[in-house]
Amino acid sequence: MANTLGFKPLRKESVTKMSLPLYGFLEGDTVGLLIVADQNESISSLARKLQEAGNIRVKPKSEVQLVYQGKVIDPALTVSGAGFTALERFDLRQK
Amino acid sequence: MLKRDEWLQLARKLDWEYSYVSEKDVFPEEISGRPWLPHSEWQDWEESFKTSYREYVQNQHDKDAAVYAVRDAVGRLENIQKLATPWVNGLKLHGAALPLAEFTGLIGNLRGARFGRDSAWRSMSTFGALDEYRHTEIPLLLLHELVRWDPQFDWVHKFYHTNNWFAVAARHFFDELTIGQNSIEYHIATNVVLETGFTNLQFVGLASLAHGAADHSFEKMITSIQTDEARHAQIGHPVLATVMKHDPEYAQYLVDKWFWRNWHLFSIVTGFTTDYMAAVEGRQTSFKEFMEEWIIDQFLRTLSEFGLKKPWYWDILLEELEIYHHMVYAAAYTYRSTLWFNFIIPSPADRKWLRQKYPKYWDDIEAVWERIEEQWRAAGPGPQNESAVHGRALPAFCDLCQLPLSAGTPRKNTANTLALNGQKYILCSEPCRWIFLREPERYANHREVTKRVLAGEAPAKLPDLVSQYFQLTPETWGKDMQGGKYAWLQATAQGIGD
Repeated sequence: MANTLGFKPLRKESVTKMSLPLYGFLEGDTVGLLIVADQNESISSLARKLQEAGNIRVKPKSEVQLVYQGKVIDPALTVSGAGFTALERFDLRQK
Repeated sequence: MLKRDEWLQLARKLDWEYSYVSEKDVFPEEISGRPWLPHSEWQDWEESFKTSYREYVQNQHDKDAAVYAVRDAVGRLENIQKLATPWVNGLKLHGAALPLAEFTGLIGNLRGARFGRDSAWRSMSTFGALDEYRHTEIPLLLLHELVRWDPQFDWVHKFYHTNNWFAVAARHFFDELTIGQNSIEYHIATNVVLETGFTNLQFVGLASLAHGAADHSFEKMITSIQTDEARHAQIGHPVLATVMKHDPEYAQYLVDKWFWRNWHLFSIVTGFTTDYMAAVEGRQTSFKEFMEEWIIDQFLRTLSEFGLKKPWYWDILLEELEIYHHMVYAAAYTYRSTLWFNFIIPSPADRKWLRQKYPKYWDDIEAVWERIEEQWRAAGPGPQNESAVHGRALPAFCDLCQLPLSAGTPRKNTANTLALNGQKYILCSEPCRWIFLREPERYANHREVTKRVLAGEAPAKLPDLVSQYFQLTPETWGKDMQGGKYAWLQATAQGIGD
């Protein structure tokens, strides 16, 4: 069957030891999403990833903050540097 | 010859004492249920409406004749083809989710017919099993034949035989409710909670909407089914009364657990059809109002009658009543190709009505629809642009109800994670977490869809997930009913351009 749905594939090969599946919650959205983060990517990159993933339902915002375990995370940190572990929740909120 | 009243009481009560096996061997706790009590505690079990097999067969024959007469008169394909498209898609949802679920009710009743603790209970369960067989066969007959016209109706039979995400959720619910359940929990959960509550919503509330949609065949069918439900629902009440007497905490748990589980599933099955797929001009009552009338009031009366307390999550339920099915519908619209029926964007008239009915959070839902509209305007209408107005990331699902993480509000989603025995779980709401933690041995090893993807059990690429795992095809996967071509949407776009 042709790929006529236009989905962005979640490539199996992309889920590596460096990958971290997370639950992303975008403020304004109606559903939580599975976001596969790279341990070395920055928090600002992870925030962009969630905004892109929820873009169909929520217009991306320029001023956002990422919240993990109740704390606002420095966007310059990496995912591993911020202490993320697999299958945890993070939120993206408008500043 | 004995008259009815002279023999019926004796025929109902045909229990005896066992001489070469113990009562516990005949009715093991694992399958009869707990608390395990000697028959002396069940011997007063009594149904309020008593019937004999002869009466049952005659009544059912008459009811079937009435259903088929209406179907022959106004339920032919040419009649269905005249119905509004959104309503027809509501029929696809109902037809897939319920008839084969009713068949699992047959299995639950047959278990009661063998392992129920009093002979009158077992007799009533036998009738209940026959009822459920009828509730499977009639909608399968009436709805699946529409496959000749619309291939999505194939899912009336196919749905439960797939790993479609909603089938996973519905199967998780009905497998626990009916197939893998002991008789006591089955009859409390099914008869007391589902059938005196939520099937009223689906079979009575929806019947009035079917009338408004001029779908008299469906209206007659579900009204007829509801007359059976009302009769066999009474099985659960004397079961609950006995459990209340001996283990009130357990009785409270069963009622609270199953009310919540029913609520989430029927928010979708009934909520979508009631608030989105019935024409707004024919709608008098919102899903929330149906819930308040048919479920909330009645459920609270039932609790009071049995000396039960209001569930601890009552405030959460009342909050969800305002928004939960709107959250799921908006999300599902953007993942419509993962389902087997088509979706419609609520029109300005719909939204005005929904805002009146759901004022508390409608602004947040409205913002999502405006965003979706923007993308249809940017892409332009037409089936070729479906993919441009479609979600691309994988949604996540609750480890208890198996439904998308759509509880709470767009400002505050209530999903919460849980670490247990070295595993991570996510629950969409506090009540789902509470149920999960009460019986982790029952739920912990079941994987929701995204965990199946991560475990390599399901394809990681969404198109493969849709076609191979959800078993949808280009002919059957869900689409926008209008292909994004809404007169009001174009008019709004021109207004913006001007």
